[in-house]
Amino acid sequence: MQPPLYVKILTHLVLGLASAVILLPLLWVLRTSFVDRVIAYKLPPELFFTPTLDNYRTILTEMEFGKFFLNSMVVASTSTLLAVIIGAMAAYAIDRYRAGGSAMPMIILATQMMPPIVLVIPFFLIFKNIGLTDSRLGLIFAYLAFNLPYVVWLLLSFMKRVPRELDEAALIDGCTPLTAFVRIVVPAMLPGIGAATILSFVLCWNEFLFALMLTGQQTKTLPVAVSSLVTQQGTAIGAVSAATILAMLPMALLYFAVRRFLVAGLNAGAVKG
Amino acid sequence: MKSATTSMNLRAPHLARKGDELSLGFYKFVFMTPTILVMMLVVAAPLLYSFYLSLHEYIVTYGQGPFIGLGNYVLLMGREFAGVSWVTMKLTVSVVVIEFLIAFSLALLLNQSWLRFREFYLVILMLPMLMTPVAVALMFRLMFNPNLGIINWLLSLVGIPAQGWFGDPNLALATVIFVDAWTETSLMLIMLYAGLRSLPQDPVEAARIDGANAWQILRHVTLPTLRPVILVTLLIRMITALKSYDLIYILTQGGPGKTTETISFYAYRLGFRFLDIGQAAAVSFILLIAVVALTLVLLRILRER
Repeated sequence: MQPPLYVKILTHLVLGLASAVILLPLLWVLRTSFVDRVIAYKLPPELFFTPTLDNYRTILTEMEFGKFFLNSMVVASTSTLLAVIIGAMAAYAIDRYRAGGSAMPMIILATQMMPPIVLVIPFFLIFKNIGLTDSRLGLIFAYLAFNLPYVVWLLLSFMKRVPRELDEAALIDGCTPLTAFVRIVVPAMLPGIGAATILSFVLCWNEFLFALMLTGQQTKTLPVAVSSLVTQQGTAIGAVSAATILAMLPMALLYFAVRRFLVAGLNAGAVKG
Repeated sequence: MKSATTSMNLRAPHLARKGDELSLGFYKFVFMTPTILVMMLVVAAPLLYSFYLSLHEYIVTYGQGPFIGLGNYVLLMGREFAGVSWVTMKLTVSVVVIEFLIAFSLALLLNQSWLRFREFYLVILMLPMLMTPVAVALMFRLMFNPNLGIINWLLSLVGIPAQGWFGDPNLALATVIFVDAWTETSLMLIMLYAGLRSLPQDPVEAARIDGANAWQILRHVTLPTLRPVILVTLLIRMITALKSYDLIYILTQGGPGKTTETISFYAYRLGFRFLDIGQAAAVSFILLIAVVALTLVLLRILRER
């Protein structure tokens, strides 16, 4: 059914406005990251300028953002990998063998709701006592606290969509639950595992509070490094913008690659209980 | 219900072949142990330790002091905690209501069957979801800068005088809410949009044939059937709003004064600025109780479905 023309125009106007509110700040920061100091401060802004990579050079060489970028990569990917491997096993046991009883999925969901500040205080003291502060290993481990329940929860909903007949048949044909899991279930839910991997990676990449409290000068992740620029922001708009773009870039690229996964994952994980 | 019966069917042939409960128990154990072990180490143990800390005097520089029972909790019953609770409530209610209204309106528009460029709008509107909150906050700090920011300059074009934004006690919270809405609305949007998409279309068609207008369909068909999704979305957003911390840290550090100080940030400040771990743990536990209460409501709704 086609609505009257004015309804169509109004709809596109509202959606267009909302899109502009999202896009314009991003474009503005992107622009600022490519201009030199003089132009960065000029108001009204100059529309024509010669773009420069100086800001990126500054943060990558003088401020060692390459190192922090690497820290983020190592921590997020290792923690995600661990969570997905042991989380997939748990999701299988919970769904197929109802391990932990019917309350288990709810316990997993409840764990996800916990405020990070509750955990970061004890983590800080424990890590200080056993010498795990200022280490990537400690952070990887700590991230499992929210990463693992998140992955299990996502994978549970994907597991439900793998027909039981599949692994049932494998069991009858003589597979043990372990081989049925590795050879049948994991391949069948590969898209779900992909989605969970990406979403969990995003969660770790963006995490701030744990990273702020548990890392130091050598091990801090990108969000912490970016946040330390706050104090200097009056003097270095260009550098701050470049760092902001650098922190967003991998997520933006990932986003366009996996948007469909993401909808499926959120749809399955968050809405369909 | 259906899944419960199929799971019984699955067990039967497998157990019949293996012939004992033991092997099933063994595999359950193998598959679950890593997760349970990790959850005990990184969730249960720190949680218990934190509760233990909240019952003790503990200043970082002096180390752990004596057991003081609920002393830390009693100490909190002052004006300062009431203040941060009030700010947290204002912030939570504002962001949930504002973001819901925006997200639901946009989701309804996106769900129109005749809409063109839907994919295009979705790509852009979902963009903030993956952005690092710290980076988003920094981006808006630059733009809301009173002297150098683009926003004051844009406003000056239409004759609005320069504002202090994050530095102005009357505007700081509203500005934080704006930035929060910019980042967090997309998650709500996608949840509500997914909910709308999964609704059966027959009742809507039936209502339309019966001559209902768009408003009546929304009011009497869409809203009632979407109710569980709406409730879950609101609750999840409320819980995440109570937890949120990153934006406040970058945008205002709780200032000016204490106008934007939330419970999460207050706990952080007590623990890591004033080094009073005992009090910080107590504050975080009170927050935890609030979140647990909301989560229980959430679980009830999920169970009912």
